[in-house]
Amino acid sequence: MNFRRQIGLDILQEKYSYGQDPSSGYTSVQKIPDQWIATTCGYCSVGCGMFIGVKNSCAVAVRGNPAHPVNMGKLCPKGLSEHYTIEADNRARYPLLKKNGKLTRATWDEALDTMVTKFQDVQKKFGSDAVGIISTGQLVTEEFYTLGKLVQLGLGTKNYDGNTTLCMASAVSGYKRSFGSDGPPGAYEDFEKADLILLIGANIAENHPILCQRLEANHNKTLIVVDPRVTKTAMLADLYLPIKPRTDVALLNGMIHILIKHELIDREYIDRKTTGFEDLEESVESYTPERVSSITGLSQELIYKTALLYAQAEAALIGWTMGVNHSTQGTTTVNLINNLALITGNIGREGASPLSITGQCNAMGTREAGFASGLPGYRKFDSAKDREELAQLWGISADRIPTSRGLAYPDIIEAALAKKIRTLWIIGTNPIVSYPNIDVLKQSLGNLDFLVVQDGFHPTPTSELADLVLPAAIWGEKEGTYTNSERRVSKVNRAVAPPAEARPDFDIFLALAGKLGCREELFPGWTSPADAFEEWKRVSEGRLCDYSGMSYELLEKHGGIQWPFPSGSQEVRTTRLYSDGQPFETEDGKAKLISVDWQPFPEQPTREFPFVLNTGRTVEHWHTRTKTGKVPILERLSPNAWLEMNPRDASALKLRPHDHVDVVSARGRVHNVELRITEIIAPGQVFLPFHYAETNANQVTQSAFDPISREPNYKQCAVRVEKSKVVLKDRI
Amino acid sequence: MPLPLLERAKEDGITFVLTPKKSRPDRLYKISLLQVEEPAWMRPLQQGEQYRFHFDMTKCIGCKCCVVACNEQNGNPSTINWRRVGEIEGGWYPNTKRFYLSMGCNHCLEPSCLLGCPVDAYSKDPVTGIVRHSADTCIGCQYCTWNCSYGVPQFSPERGVVGKCDMCYGRLQESQAPACVNACPESAIQIEIINTEQWRREYAASANAPGLPSADHSVSTTRVTLPAEMPPDTKKADIHRVRPEHPHWPLVVMTILTQLSVGAFANVWLRQAVGSSARLGLAAVASLLVGGMALAASTLHLGRPIHAYRALKMWKRSWLSREVLVFGLFSNVAFAYAALLALKIPGSLAAGALTTLLGIAGLTCTARIYMVRPRPAWNSNHTLLEFYLSAILLGSLFVRAIGVTNGRWTLMLVLASAAAQLLNQSLKFFRLVRSRSYERQASARLLSTTLVPLVLCRGALLICGGMLLPIYATGLSGMIAALLVSIAGEILGRYLFFVSVVPKNIALSYLSTSAEAA
Repeated sequence: MNFRRQIGLDILQEKYSYGQDPSSGYTSVQKIPDQWIATTCGYCSVGCGMFIGVKNSCAVAVRGNPAHPVNMGKLCPKGLSEHYTIEADNRARYPLLKKNGKLTRATWDEALDTMVTKFQDVQKKFGSDAVGIISTGQLVTEEFYTLGKLVQLGLGTKNYDGNTTLCMASAVSGYKRSFGSDGPPGAYEDFEKADLILLIGANIAENHPILCQRLEANHNKTLIVVDPRVTKTAMLADLYLPIKPRTDVALLNGMIHILIKHELIDREYIDRKTTGFEDLEESVESYTPERVSSITGLSQELIYKTALLYAQAEAALIGWTMGVNHSTQGTTTVNLINNLALITGNIGREGASPLSITGQCNAMGTREAGFASGLPGYRKFDSAKDREELAQLWGISADRIPTSRGLAYPDIIEAALAKKIRTLWIIGTNPIVSYPNIDVLKQSLGNLDFLVVQDGFHPTPTSELADLVLPAAIWGEKEGTYTNSERRVSKVNRAVAPPAEARPDFDIFLALAGKLGCREELFPGWTSPADAFEEWKRVSEGRLCDYSGMSYELLEKHGGIQWPFPSGSQEVRTTRLYSDGQPFETEDGKAKLISVDWQPFPEQPTREFPFVLNTGRTVEHWHTRTKTGKVPILERLSPNAWLEMNPRDASALKLRPHDHVDVVSARGRVHNVELRITEIIAPGQVFLPFHYAETNANQVTQSAFDPISREPNYKQCAVRVEKSKVVLKDRI
Repeated sequence: MPLPLLERAKEDGITFVLTPKKSRPDRLYKISLLQVEEPAWMRPLQQGEQYRFHFDMTKCIGCKCCVVACNEQNGNPSTINWRRVGEIEGGWYPNTKRFYLSMGCNHCLEPSCLLGCPVDAYSKDPVTGIVRHSADTCIGCQYCTWNCSYGVPQFSPERGVVGKCDMCYGRLQESQAPACVNACPESAIQIEIINTEQWRREYAASANAPGLPSADHSVSTTRVTLPAEMPPDTKKADIHRVRPEHPHWPLVVMTILTQLSVGAFANVWLRQAVGSSARLGLAAVASLLVGGMALAASTLHLGRPIHAYRALKMWKRSWLSREVLVFGLFSNVAFAYAALLALKIPGSLAAGALTTLLGIAGLTCTARIYMVRPRPAWNSNHTLLEFYLSAILLGSLFVRAIGVTNGRWTLMLVLASAAAQLLNQSLKFFRLVRSRSYERQASARLLSTTLVPLVLCRGALLICGGMLLPIYATGLSGMIAALLVSIAGEILGRYLFFVSVVPKNIALSYLSTSAEAA
């Protein structure tokens, strides 16, 4: 601090003065940029349009785009402070290669040469599938498309999956099984048009707050929220169903039971558009209101009321997120949600849709254009026609396209543990914080011959374990497109250059292709994401996710365009899938009604571990906090994790508010969590946010995965709570 | 939200008015949601009207967009939040309700920040009613942060001045909605126009809410729309988090030393009045030095010590100004008194009387600074008594240690003041415990839990330095020891005075917001 400031002559008047920005108006001079660059938010899949303010080549401000159809100028607190992520001090800046046990700076050439050599060595010794890749939902679609080709056709391994398996896989599998294809059928506009909105395991007020303005704008709706915890969203509900954990399958079966019994179903639609009704009818027979009430803990009246409200709605929307997906019955729960919509004809109409609200900004992009759990353009590995079509588009032999998908994320980890996978390339994700039961993961990563971590941030708990760190550009530093939950493709732009030697993932992929010698074959003449976009448009043409009518210019002009948007499309408007006349993507064009039986969640509480642990999020943070943990205002608003416990349980354990407790499961222990005693949580349950590496919920979560989608059952595991023996001073 | 642009139609001195401009910025394409209507506040303000915030608790989802937007708007660091979001909670599972309170400045009709400010840094804008703060004028004394029941003004150590929400005055002038209003996805924060006289009659019903301090103190203008049904046990979420306040070390030292100095001068004068003359000059000069040190210490508390003299300005209104004024006079007269005594010039007795009177007046001003409604544990005569008794105890011990006297009368003064202080502190604690005010109870909780070792230590030092040593250690060294032990005791006592106050505030969030980003 300087002397003039010490004595009070200087009060930093200049720094704290104000000026006029032509776009954002009167504001702090620190936040008046030289120019505003339009882009799309890089956090969640709501897909808000925004601008980055750039001054002297630094991102100094952001503002919502008032003309963007998704967010109308609003942003959540993460979006409002997103420019700080670019300037964070934990950005990865240089390629780092482990030499003598220490990560040391290397040139890009050396880094990529080493990577290619290590990968090829392993493939020679242990087979081509001994290389595994785990990517993310946060690259641009162009990069996903490029990465898919690079991995499957260039590297020649099919053991490639994304962290999307940790969040969206159940929705994907559920859509595929019911409708024959992935692809959320609805639109955000449905939140405004529906007269009944049923949210299951979705705390949108916390996790997608910008969608709440749609709820607010809909004055005719009845909002029903199903959640074991009285979330912010539950508190907004007209009818709240405090369901026992993971009993939604029983509830949905019970609702279907009531609807069939009381003839509240759309027979005509069922006959015309679905198959499997008889089986469904039989399977829900035993889900009488009495039984469902005893399973779910909800009164029969409440179950009836919910079923009747849903059936009587002109247009009913069902939205769900992780409460449904993070489950060993995730996929089948999605199928039941789809069943409910199908038997009442609540699909493909304004306000009527079973809508999965996605997590990451471009989870949708990897689902559409990726080449991991499906072929690009929602094509199927097991379809010879689809493989042939792709081979022709790419000018390669169809034999090179695998006939089945490789290992899913948890199975890659399992395979690494068994030393079947020897090298792993992790892109844009932080499994050491986000993967369930992390001690197993740590052992698995420890078994690898070579671990590459490509990320915008270093050190992260994962990148610290790497043999090679590739520094990547992040949001705001690269170009491409994101697809949001309502299938809206929006443009993402580069506002500033990546720090030091960091490069866009797209450039890294092309450089690797060069080293592998497949660049000209797979990516002929490509230099920028626009080249990938053009090819992807051709590949998507005629598919459900048809991009062929889009261009970067059109996307910029309209603030994003929903697919399908085939070439020749004249009008940009709200679209829905499976509207009248549009067949489902199954062989017979009919949706499948899938019967499901309820199962209790795998790890029931015991005398030793008497609580059911629920995990979730807080509005201020994103995933594992590699980004938001470096945004000062977000850290200030939500500096540490907390454990929610009902007062009845707390008094039995003689615990007091703000005590520090350990959460213990059969697998591990979370140390020193601040206790929050609250009636938000039911007796017998506790809740812990999963963002904080310091108090990592995944120390205690279990290795239990959905058999179809392979998504982890993060939401329920048995724990006990103890008062911490050592209280860390800095958290008092 | 792009708002219709306004322009200033008329500008004659302070009574400019705002009227809407005709055109709106073109929109790129039709938006289905949130029809942009012209907000009702976009009309010229009339005589007797002002702007205010309306907060709709039924709409707020606690996303804290307003907090982030406010910090961005004003370029503030994360540790300073001119808008804050608190939580209140009640009910039983599954009928649990949590509501949020988003609060900036309430732009009160009787702003207590303004009334206490010694330098006139605050003004109530005659047209908009916005309570504005001038960083230029501010000297960083932070008195306003004690005077506001809502915890609105916040001191910036980086700048050395206080800052607060000005309802985005600059934006309103340009007919732009404030940053928080703009950022709220739920339209829970709005600007409204009110007639101040009407509001004065109606505020009690609309400006109060669970989790908010009473609006009576300053007549807050923020209107809060409450949910139709609220669980009866709804209370602040942060009610269990009570932490010691800032100790303000320069003020601890300053108050103890001024009290010592005043007490010493009073003793010197009393000795002189009864005809003693041993070492009176020396004692007066020493007391003067102590007073000088106190003055120096006081400027260290200021964010802008160089402008300390400005604090004289508002003596008609502010107890802080009065304190500065009276102690300023005191030090001059005391200087004269010490000089007259030392040089044995006649007239010193009268000067001594004046010095003593001014000293007592000064102590009273100091005490009145702390006796403010937003700091309930301070706001009682115990504060006044504590300061007087410290002065008597330390002043008497001081003159004894210098060798002015070792007589029975001063010893009696020492013993009586120590005993009275012990009683005063015990009584204060007892009344805090018995109080029905949350803040007073919380102060008692602090004193009897976190701070209890220090409380016991303070009591021991008081008994030792104010009773045992003066009685049993009779030599000069004993007297010096008694003085030093008592100074330590009073300093610890004053430290506890500062840290154990629990100020009134709005409900805050359950998690501490004090952590800084890594």
